[in-house]
Amino acid sequence: MKRFNYLLGLAFLLVIVGCSSGEETGGTADGEVSGEITVWVHPFTDGSDEESDMWDEVVTSFEEEKGVDVNLEQIPWSNRDQKILTALAANNGPDVFYAIPDQMPQYADEGMLLELDPYLEDMDMDDFVDTSLVSTTWQDKTYGLPILQEAYTLFYNKDIVKAIGEDPESLPTTWDEFEEWSKKAKDEGYYAMSYPGGGSMNGTIYPWIWQAGGDIITQDDEVLINSQESVKAFEFINSMYEDGRIPEDSITAKEHNALWDNGEIMATLGSGITLSNLLSKDVVDFAIGEPLKNEEKVTYGTTGMFVVPSNSDNKTAAAEFVKTMTNTENQRKFNKVTQYIPTRKSAQDIFDDQEYIGQLAEYTQYALPGVIHPIGRDIMPAIQAEVQTMMEGKKTPQEAADAAAEAIEADLNN
Amino acid sequence: MRITKRSNLSVKERLKREWNRNAIVYIFLVPALIHFLIFQIFPFGFSFVLTFMDWNVIGTSEFVGLKHWSAFLSDKLAWKAIWNTVLFSIYYIVPTMALGLILALIINSGVRFSNVFKGIFFLPVVTSFVIIAGLWGWLFNGTQAGMVNFVLGFFGIETQLFLADSGQALMVLAGLSIFKVSGSTMIYYFAGLQSIPKQLYEAARIDGASKIRIFWQITFPLLKPIHFYVAIITTIGSFQIFDSTFLLTGGGPNYSTTTIVYYLYEQGFTSLNLSYAAVLSYVLFFIILTISLIQRKYLGKDSAIY
Repeated sequence: MKRFNYLLGLAFLLVIVGCSSGEETGGTADGEVSGEITVWVHPFTDGSDEESDMWDEVVTSFEEEKGVDVNLEQIPWSNRDQKILTALAANNGPDVFYAIPDQMPQYADEGMLLELDPYLEDMDMDDFVDTSLVSTTWQDKTYGLPILQEAYTLFYNKDIVKAIGEDPESLPTTWDEFEEWSKKAKDEGYYAMSYPGGGSMNGTIYPWIWQAGGDIITQDDEVLINSQESVKAFEFINSMYEDGRIPEDSITAKEHNALWDNGEIMATLGSGITLSNLLSKDVVDFAIGEPLKNEEKVTYGTTGMFVVPSNSDNKTAAAEFVKTMTNTENQRKFNKVTQYIPTRKSAQDIFDDQEYIGQLAEYTQYALPGVIHPIGRDIMPAIQAEVQTMMEGKKTPQEAADAAAEAIEADLNN
Repeated sequence: MRITKRSNLSVKERLKREWNRNAIVYIFLVPALIHFLIFQIFPFGFSFVLTFMDWNVIGTSEFVGLKHWSAFLSDKLAWKAIWNTVLFSIYYIVPTMALGLILALIINSGVRFSNVFKGIFFLPVVTSFVIIAGLWGWLFNGTQAGMVNFVLGFFGIETQLFLADSGQALMVLAGLSIFKVSGSTMIYYFAGLQSIPKQLYEAARIDGASKIRIFWQITFPLLKPIHFYVAIITTIGSFQIFDSTFLLTGGGPNYSTTTIVYYLYEQGFTSLNLSYAAVLSYVLFFIILTISLIQRKYLGKDSAIY
């Protein structure tokens, strides 16, 4: 009922939109900025003092340098989409907010985001890691600048690696090697890998599809999920499940933390959060492998970016803030506190002396941000359902992939 | 003839008379009514308007007539979601009522430490749903490590998939709701049991009726108003089920736990089809309205049984 009320509340706020009118203030054509902007960020750590100090520092220096007043508001993660949508609809939203990859094209396609290219003419974009700009661009237009990246890769339980007679110093780099290891793990009574099939496809089948050389859907609406390459990923996951190399509940499981902590799983796909959990719990002795390769060496990793809504009252100052926030100096400050990976190569030196996160930072160059398409979010439940049907044994990998493609086509034509 | 006489008064006079009589009531009602108007009536009406538009959050919206309503008729997933919700109700309503009644009978039977039992039975009701769902997910883990699977293992039953099996997942979720809600139905039934006149039991006992007979001839029929109330509440609750599927299965496997509200949420807030979500919310409204009216007609009759 709560969700339903949100919907009603949103509808109500929409009326207020009609009553208020946007007025352009601040910002002049020659690039001078002034006035006031509101910036929405989220808690990127567990509410540490360092985080608020970092924001104070960043905001104060921006205010002094540019003469723009910044209202920085920290919004909880839960229901963030509803909050942003409601505020934007009421013309009462932020001038800059934090966006995630599959949100950007959806919003941009609805005309809700400001194209930043006119403000970026003097910017050196080469410093950004290439993969970090995939998610900020939709139809050749830039809608945001990236502040942080993650890279998902396989974390291995060293004890299990030793138990199956392999060397934790030379972890698998290809599908074939991994498959061989996974069979050994199964024979020794372990699960080879976690597979939270009830969670996001980004953490489950998508990376395998990309590694196989396939894709889900291109920006030009070409559906590739049932291509020969993509189907290989379906087959791979299916055989892993049929043999019991991934846990029995993988069809809908949201996580396999307990099994991993108990030392029953050889490898788990994880990123920086996994790393900090592993380090703080200190129950599993682990090693980090590089992203696997079949046809391509790629993986998933989200990108966090700052975007400007198209109904911002102070677009120039907002764009200026986005640029300043994502410069090398601020990326260093931000990512040092939040332990994410900077998207500027020049800022990545902050983790040089740290063993594990430094290793993850090297992998962001392989990290794709998910399906960058306005229907990226819509199609996920349909694909998930087909993968689940396949794992239940009711469809072959090819049939499941075809059905997923059909669902995507239907969504495109909608 | 009084009626004709009354209607002879002008509207103004009638209003004035009413005001003089009940002014204080209206003054106290105004804040609540304003709230009700803004947060209930208005959104209710406005979301109806939404169903005829292609709603964009920012920018202009287009009037599209019955497009979303006709899309609903041919949307297989929406019908599957409704069917899942009906199935869920079947798994959930009667067991919740039965379990609530049994628990109420236990604490009403004068058993020792009945207050302690009352507290224990009521505990799931006051515990956060997220926590209960987490525990339930852990109990019904589909691997050998799952608690329930571990216990079943002693009886030689092979590992069940539970939430990962499209045939079982909805039942497991219904079980969670039964566990969560039975405590509150227990309280309603307990209140009902307390209100049954003691002399009826005395008379029955003097006539030599057995305990089972007393239950079916006296207790059960006299609880009719409670049955009605609990049936309505659990029915509405079951049609609004959302949290458990959101937390535990994400609608899967293969849409087998996608309920109407979950589907509505996904359409509205994942896909941003707010207009279509509004259509679904109206469909849900009509379903609940119809069921409530039917229940009222057949169950709510002659509630003044004694």
